[in-house]
Amino acid sequence: MSVLIDSLLAILIVYLALQCLLAPRLTQTVFLFFAFGLALALAWVRLGAVDVAITEAAIASGFLGVLFLDALRDFSFITSGKQESSDAANHSVSKKKPAFLSLPGVVLVLGLGLFLLITLEAVWKVPESGGLTAATEALLPESGVENPVTAVLLNFRAYDTWLEMGVILLGLLAVMAVGGIKIFPVHRKTPEDPVLQQVILFFTPILFLFGAFLLYFGKNGPGGAFQAAVLWGAIGILLHLGGRPVLTVIPRWLSQLLLIMGIGFFLMLGFLLLAGGASLFEYPPSYAGVLILIIETLAAISIAVTLVSVFVHLNQLNKEESN
Amino acid sequence: MTITELFTVILLVAGCFFFLAGTLGVLRFPDLFTRLHALTKADNLGLGFIAAGMALHIASPWAAIKIFSIWLFTLLASSTSCYLIARFQKEKNPPKNRKEEG
Amino acid sequence: MDVFFTIVIVFLLLNIAVGLIRVWRGPTVADRLLTTQLFGTTGMAILLVLAGYLEDPDFLNVAITFNVLAILLVIGLVKVWKKKKGESP
Repeated sequence: MSVLIDSLLAILIVYLALQCLLAPRLTQTVFLFFAFGLALALAWVRLGAVDVAITEAAIASGFLGVLFLDALRDFSFITSGKQESSDAANHSVSKKKPAFLSLPGVVLVLGLGLFLLITLEAVWKVPESGGLTAATEALLPESGVENPVTAVLLNFRAYDTWLEMGVILLGLLAVMAVGGIKIFPVHRKTPEDPVLQQVILFFTPILFLFGAFLLYFGKNGPGGAFQAAVLWGAIGILLHLGGRPVLTVIPRWLSQLLLIMGIGFFLMLGFLLLAGGASLFEYPPSYAGVLILIIETLAAISIAVTLVSVFVHLNQLNKEESN
Repeated sequence: MTITELFTVILLVAGCFFFLAGTLGVLRFPDLFTRLHALTKADNLGLGFIAAGMALHIASPWAAIKIFSIWLFTLLASSTSCYLIARFQKEKNPPKNRKEEG
Repeated sequence: MDVFFTIVIVFLLLNIAVGLIRVWRGPTVADRLLTTQLFGTTGMAILLVLAGYLEDPDFLNVAITFNVLAILLVIGLVKVWKKKKGESP
């Protein structure tokens, strides 16, 4: 019976992915991508991978949407002269022949759907244990945490996570390299819409609390630093959009410290462990739990600040170009 | 079928009915403001019914608190979105045919 | 009971699929934005039913995460696009 849910989800995901690529207008793509993220999160839930589902929900639902819309604004400014006319042209085209009804589209979707159904049938009886599941389970008591995903990400393959944090930081550096490092003028705009203000103020503590919950809960269940970081980063973006630019009021050195805090602590810990005769990121089992929690907290703060910085810098960049 | 299950079924069916109504409204109503009206009211009521049904089914206080807060957040976010979208549209192109009030 | 939950989930998924028509037809940006509300609310309902169907309340965390962040998209669109209008009249 659940085959019905799975096959429907699979068809929906493939269809949405195709439509994201084929949609004639970029605004359509952004909203289709939102639906795609939702369908993907549902699929991860259906597969039992709650950690991945939370990450997908966190990144695809709000954060990427805001970044895309910001980019779209920039894009539409470049072509602003032609925007109206091309919009009208697109409209007439789509009125004449909606792409999702065209014959190649239907054939492609049907074919892929069929292919997926056959694949689903083929992989229906995957062996229960495979890969490194058994090895992870065996070493779990020494890792200091109870969630196998957290154990792999922050203990067994910690260097992987460490490098990923470096990648995110590099992304911010690229944005700064294009836009230049600026000291933003501290200006408090006049309070905007009262409803918006109240909602932002209501959601700020909830985002913070739920992020902290996911961070701490990550030791024993689904959740962890990245998910918490997106939720905390959302606070900064919300406040920035609501006319309270938090990142610009704290001093430069503090924001820079916050940015490198996670990756820096990780690196120092690695060197200390190397100096102590262990290999890189080989925590002593008795301290592993505490160390992982500290690393995760610092990493979450760093990633959150990085995400907000990326957003603010891009936003500022677009604003200057349009002036 | 126990009495709890019966209530769950009734609540979920009621929820599905309101979701159907909301989707039909979004598809069939003539302009944005009526569509907003259909969506943000019917769907949230439907979600409320489904939330109540699932809280009854899972039957754990911790889960019930989470489910209730999910509904509360959705209500808040949804009504705010409705307001923001309507204002956004109104500023871009104000609605016509509103003279009969005066 | 499981059969009933399956039917509910499939019904709600079909709701989302039908709602996609509105993304296509538009005609305004606001109409498309409206459908994110449809997807968000319906997705919440599906996640709730899935949590009961798979008997794992951990899935509720996915729902809360999605929930508290979905508003970012709407606020983002309204604020970001308003700025554009203000700067290049």
